[in-house]
Amino acid sequence: MTGGPAPGSPATAEGPGARSHPSETNGLLARILSLREGSIIVVTLVTAIYFAINTSTFLTGSNFKSLLPYFAPLAILAAGEVFVMILGEIDLSIGAMYLIAPFIFYKLSTAGIPLVPCVILALLCCMVVGFVNGFFVAVVGISSFVTTLGMLFTFEGLTLIISHGAPVNTPGAQIQQVQVKVDHVINGHHVVLTETVNKISTFAHVFGGGTYSELIWALVIVIVLQVTLSFSRWGLYTVAIGSNKLGAAEAGVGVRLVTVRNFILCALTAGMVGVLEAVRAGSVQPDPAGANEILFFAIASAVIGGTLLAGGSGTVIGALIGALFLGVLQDGLILQGVNANYKLFYLGLAIIVAMTVNVYVQRVRRGYRSG
Amino acid sequence: MADQAPILPVVPPRSAPDDVLRVEHIAKRFGPVTALRDVSLHLRKGEVLGLLGDNGSGKSTLIKIICGFQKQDSGRMFLHGQPYQPRSVDDARSKGIDTVYQDLALIDELSVYHNLFLRRELVHRPLPLLANRQMKRQARAALDEIGINIPRIDVAVARLSGGQRQAIAVARTVNSDADILLLDEPLAAMGAKEGAMILDLVARLKAEGRVSIIMILHNYVHVLEACDRVSMIQDGEIALDKPTVETSVEELTDIVVNEYRRARIAAHEAEARAGRGPGADGGAAGAGGAGGAGGAAGAGGAAGAGGAEGADASG
Repeated sequence: MTGGPAPGSPATAEGPGARSHPSETNGLLARILSLREGSIIVVTLVTAIYFAINTSTFLTGSNFKSLLPYFAPLAILAAGEVFVMILGEIDLSIGAMYLIAPFIFYKLSTAGIPLVPCVILALLCCMVVGFVNGFFVAVVGISSFVTTLGMLFTFEGLTLIISHGAPVNTPGAQIQQVQVKVDHVINGHHVVLTETVNKISTFAHVFGGGTYSELIWALVIVIVLQVTLSFSRWGLYTVAIGSNKLGAAEAGVGVRLVTVRNFILCALTAGMVGVLEAVRAGSVQPDPAGANEILFFAIASAVIGGTLLAGGSGTVIGALIGALFLGVLQDGLILQGVNANYKLFYLGLAIIVAMTVNVYVQRVRRGYRSG
Repeated sequence: MADQAPILPVVPPRSAPDDVLRVEHIAKRFGPVTALRDVSLHLRKGEVLGLLGDNGSGKSTLIKIICGFQKQDSGRMFLHGQPYQPRSVDDARSKGIDTVYQDLALIDELSVYHNLFLRRELVHRPLPLLANRQMKRQARAALDEIGINIPRIDVAVARLSGGQRQAIAVARTVNSDADILLLDEPLAAMGAKEGAMILDLVARLKAEGRVSIIMILHNYVHVLEACDRVSMIQDGEIALDKPTVETSVEELTDIVVNEYRRARIAAHEAEARAGRGPGADGGAAGAGGAGGAGGAAGAGGAAGAGGAEGADASG
């Protein structure tokens, strides 16, 4: 009974105070909140702090490494998806591109083509699918949800057909045991001994196999796409179409061209993640359920990061932080020793709680911005 | 039928030796709806042409055909005497025709200066990133020159008032290099003060003599004040084409009142015919329906005509 008004009253007392004196009270918080992604940054930090306090292992280097695969692939997928979502469209087929790209890569590689050209060709195939998506949406005029749902099923099905439902080893990603001659100095004598060392190829290092490979790809892709979104004509037109499609067309913006281009970009990033993940795992799994889960998390990352489902507004950086939030949440729940059967349950609840907090933080943030 | 409002003579295509734009026999249908039946008009160099017409008369459609947003079903256009058929809005713009649309075509999410420069963005070289600082500076200068008061040009246009938004849409067009401006209701959302500012701007452009303007307006006082000549579209055709000095608010009003009268008569006739429809099938119900229709149409003086048509249909 007494607990009822207590949580409410400090919040209401704090709210107006923060609104009226933005620059005087804690300047760093004000600066973070003045960013468009401000509220999700705060929510992610609070989540991380919660797990840092409640688990002994959250703030360790090894945990950071185990966190990476949770969020780096999502960040790349979401980066492409943001471009489509800002248009007011959605691309569900990224799940299928994620799934089929490594199989195309595998098939081409077994046909004797070198690894890097295989990757490029696989990504080109994804871009063709993206073009078809864009064509159906922008020229034929089918809703993007229906178009890309159809493409999702089609290409996930095609993956099952060409793979016969069986996993394969990722070409170029296998651990090689290399005999290395090591020069030992024992009692002043040089002794050369052969030792067996596990090693992955440079190709695998670059394309997802290295510990930080996916993180580096994610950061580079996010930065490049955010700059494109904020500081290029392409980005400007993307926002323009999402905000006012007819108005953009009247002003002379090539609505169809930009739409098709964004679907191609989205398919490209999804295919890239598929290849990176296949190389990281060392095997290619024909698993549509897993791909659909990734697809769902990627769209969730974008939405959590502030991209509107209705279009017109969103940032790639926001989607990266959204992906980070989901990654922290999943990783933290595991560290807390949550029973596997409870994990999804808690994850769902945590997302709802965090997003409720997010809405309140956003209100405070609006106060900062207009103040 | 005889005592109906007089049918206005269709003005034949006119032209002048110094025409910058000539539009001949333009027709446009949207499915069952005929927006433009046969429209011909011309625009002389340095002239401000006021385009009038009822809501839905096809004024905006004509503007959208000239600016390349839509394509006519038939008819031809000439720009500076050369055949002119824009492939797109960009194409029309590259030939010197720019437009303020009725819906303004502003992007709410973008800033004032990005809206002002939409499709004409300044970019750096060699990496084509937006030259925002340069655009802000030029946008500020352009708005100041026009005399539009926008306190901050880096806010999203969603946060501006209706009049300010309208002013930005006008400024975007005026600020272009176009020599033919199409203004579709540039004063629609404006207060008296802002409206006067836009009319001043049009007067200033006219005085400079560089641009020719077609302007859709609803207020006849504004038309007579700002335009050199006025064309009126009725039923998808040009019903009037006169220099503003030869016409008056009264004449323009009369034409529109007559149009309303004819429209009402037409509506009554349609009603009468609809009432007659079931009459052909059933005796008693048909008589009642015919009586009611006759009474209604009587006010328009078309009872006889309605009755005769009905008789033809049933016989």
